[in-house]
Amino acid sequence: MTSFVLPVLRGLPWIAAILAFLFLGKAASAQSPPQLQLRASATTVGVGDVFEIELSATSADTMPADAQLGGTRGFVVRGQNPAPSQTHISINGNRMDRYTLTMTWQLEAQRVGTFHVGPATVLLSGARYSVQPLTISVVPAGQAPRPRASAPALPPGMWSPFRFSPFDPWKGLLPGIDNDDPGQASTPQIPIDPKLSLEPARGQFFFLHATVDKTTAAVGEQVTYSVYAYADTGERADVDGEAGHESTAADFVKHPLLREDQDPPRVGYAIAGGRTWEVKLLRRWALFPLHTGDLTIGPMRLNVVRPQSASGPARTAETVVVHVTEPPLAGRPPGYTLGDVGHFSLTAQVSPREIEEGGAIGVHVELSGTGNMPAAITPPARAGVEWLTPEVHGELAAMGHDAWGGKRTIDYVVRLRRRGVVDLGELTLPFWDPEQRGYGVARASLGVVRVLPSAAGANASADPARETLPGLPAVRDRLEGPRGPRAHADDSPVFWIAGVGAWPLAFGAVVAGRAAGRRALAAWRNRRASPEAELRERLEAAIEACGRTDARTADAAIARALEAAALAHAGVNVRGAVAAEVIARLERAGVARASASRVAALLRECEGARFAPEAADIASARDRWVRAQGAIRGLETGG
Amino acid sequence: MRRLARALFLALVGALAVLFVAAPVRADDETDALFASGAAALKEGRPQDAIVSLEALADRGVIDAVASFDRGLAYAKRVQIGAESPGDLGRAAQGFEEARELSRSPQLVDDASRALTVIRSEIARRRVHAGEPVEIDPGKSLGRTVAGLLSEDTWSGLAVVASATLSIALFLRILGRARRARISGGVAAGIATPVLALAVAMALAARHDRIHLREAVVVVENARPLDERGITIPGATRLPEGVRVEVIETSGSSSRVRFGAVEARVQSSALRELARPE
Repeated sequence: MTSFVLPVLRGLPWIAAILAFLFLGKAASAQSPPQLQLRASATTVGVGDVFEIELSATSADTMPADAQLGGTRGFVVRGQNPAPSQTHISINGNRMDRYTLTMTWQLEAQRVGTFHVGPATVLLSGARYSVQPLTISVVPAGQAPRPRASAPALPPGMWSPFRFSPFDPWKGLLPGIDNDDPGQASTPQIPIDPKLSLEPARGQFFFLHATVDKTTAAVGEQVTYSVYAYADTGERADVDGEAGHESTAADFVKHPLLREDQDPPRVGYAIAGGRTWEVKLLRRWALFPLHTGDLTIGPMRLNVVRPQSASGPARTAETVVVHVTEPPLAGRPPGYTLGDVGHFSLTAQVSPREIEEGGAIGVHVELSGTGNMPAAITPPARAGVEWLTPEVHGELAAMGHDAWGGKRTIDYVVRLRRRGVVDLGELTLPFWDPEQRGYGVARASLGVVRVLPSAAGANASADPARETLPGLPAVRDRLEGPRGPRAHADDSPVFWIAGVGAWPLAFGAVVAGRAAGRRALAAWRNRRASPEAELRERLEAAIEACGRTDARTADAAIARALEAAALAHAGVNVRGAVAAEVIARLERAGVARASASRVAALLRECEGARFAPEAADIASARDRWVRAQGAIRGLETGG
Repeated sequence: MRRLARALFLALVGALAVLFVAAPVRADDETDALFASGAAALKEGRPQDAIVSLEALADRGVIDAVASFDRGLAYAKRVQIGAESPGDLGRAAQGFEEARELSRSPQLVDDASRALTVIRSEIARRRVHAGEPVEIDPGKSLGRTVAGLLSEDTWSGLAVVASATLSIALFLRILGRARRARISGGVAAGIATPVLALAVAMALAARHDRIHLREAVVVVENARPLDERGITIPGATRLPEGVRVEVIETSGSSSRVRFGAVEARVQSSALRELARPE
């Protein structure tokens, strides 16, 4: 009994609350005044600052309309944005409606002072309802307090799932019972998301910021690419999307994770360059790299039309580079295809399980999961089993916030040509799971099919069909073994120099040496027969002859020495020439007349002494030799 | 204390030995297991499973004539049982060509050559049916054919012998005193000179091919020739499946290849390169 009563007692407050909600809800719906709330994004602003005023009007009867802000002395309205919404709840057949009009105004403070904004009003069922005005303090430009980064309050118009409380699930649904947060209306703050903040700001008034969730990935691994638009909350910027261009990702397969035909969602507020920025998510793509390398994602570009800024109209996001590698080779399952990355599962249905020979069965395969899902699966090949081209349907889309996936159905028609129990085998899909950092294999067993004999099949099998690829050799079941790199003689320069070149080189050396020896011998011989050599010989002979007592021999040696000197130094052969001719020849050779005359005179004297009938005097001969030496020196010097 | 130090030292040596020895052993085990499963699947009439295992072996960089032979056979079997995928005949031809290149066993070379004939006959038969040119093996150039008559080492040895012969003959011709010796030297030099030139040229050509030659087999039904921009050349002769081509250079996703007298650029994915023995 106690065990029955206690839970009931424990549940009483809930039951009472639900009953009260139902009855009070009915009663409330009978009342016409809407729940009104007026909030400001800041109660103290600087001159020139733009802030927001939000009026929230909720009614259980009909949609409030024609929201008006009322007095805005000291401010200029820069814009307004209505946001109607409806909520319908049905509990145990009791329906409750809730109509909310949220109107947001952007005001720009004009001068210093304390001003009242409002009273704001809305129209409901022909009657106009008002809310108390707000008091806003305007301080000189730059002196307004900055919004708290971690303020828990939500900005105007923002919805948060964290408002839901399990202890008060109806909070906010009914008028008048959810204002238990005294500070909420009085001190609205912009929540700053630190993850969105960046320094410095990438532009004035408006800029783009591109990010990827990873800069290193495997081929086929999803890289989530996002482009955020940052708009200065204090300046309204008009952007011309037509003049810009999209990001480029030619090396990736691209799937958008965000609907791009709708207004971009606001993801929060951020601080950049000391200013507050409203951040919207323009693009979110799931990109799957097609190959390895450093792959580039080109930047998105938009043009800011108004206001003009010093940096020009173009706003360009960052260029992103993703380093792409292959998944590891270690542990890679057989049959893995590069690019199959994600997490997949396979199921297969085969029907019927019993057919006649030559008939066909259907194999319905369902491949599901997230990641870069392959477009086809290779079926197991068996003799007598013919897999026809499959029909493939895909239901792939963004899953959750940033994953791409879904399911793909592949329908095969399989013709069975061999009777008996045919094992269809197993479908397998090896994949690389980047989250687990390991390989996985999705499998689906196809089981067996009984193929019954048929008359048509029997006739078909009786036909002498041509065998495809007859005469193939038998399979080998033992590896031959590695064939390591082998050294080749011709890889070495020694082979070419010593093996091939040495012989001709030796022959060449011998021939060349022989020729060189001959040339040296000839040169030596030539050298021995030269006028200079002869002169030296003649001089030595003259000296030797003059040292003896035979005057005629001495004179002959002196004459030969003079002739040799003329030949060696002047290049003139004076042998056999008479005196005048000797002089003429020497002069023609450039010898001075005095020297030439001296040589001619000495030659004449020598001739005279040699062939004189009286006895020759050796002393005279030696004297002639002394003069002859002088004449020879004269010939040598050219004088 | 000393005993403890010795125990620690032994433990360290043991751990290092495990680190350095275990990895290659594990790789060898994996290679053997993959090959065994591929061969078994092929014997049991599961060519698809055999292909998966043998391709995994190739992915791991295992170069073995028998692995290539069985891989070619697996693709051929898939065609034989009627489960053919496009390019199977080309891949089969590639496996057999590779086995022929790699193998040291004359029996395996004979079998691979026989299988190649079967594959190329089937390709030729299909091309005849399709009304396409049947030339699927233009053969090698004259230079390559001559260079292939002897091994690179034989050409090298011949070059050494010819060089020595030429030199000795010239010695005799020039330095010999006897008339007979001089005539003999002249004749020998006249023979040795062209032999030396040929042997040196062939040895260099064989060495160049060993180091630089890249060959591949076309593994699509018809490889379309492309121009420099990668656009298909209209009316150009397509390279048939299963032919062996010389890869001159690869840039981007296309390769320039030579097939007989034809030189063309084709998609690199239409080719599968042949592993070299060294």
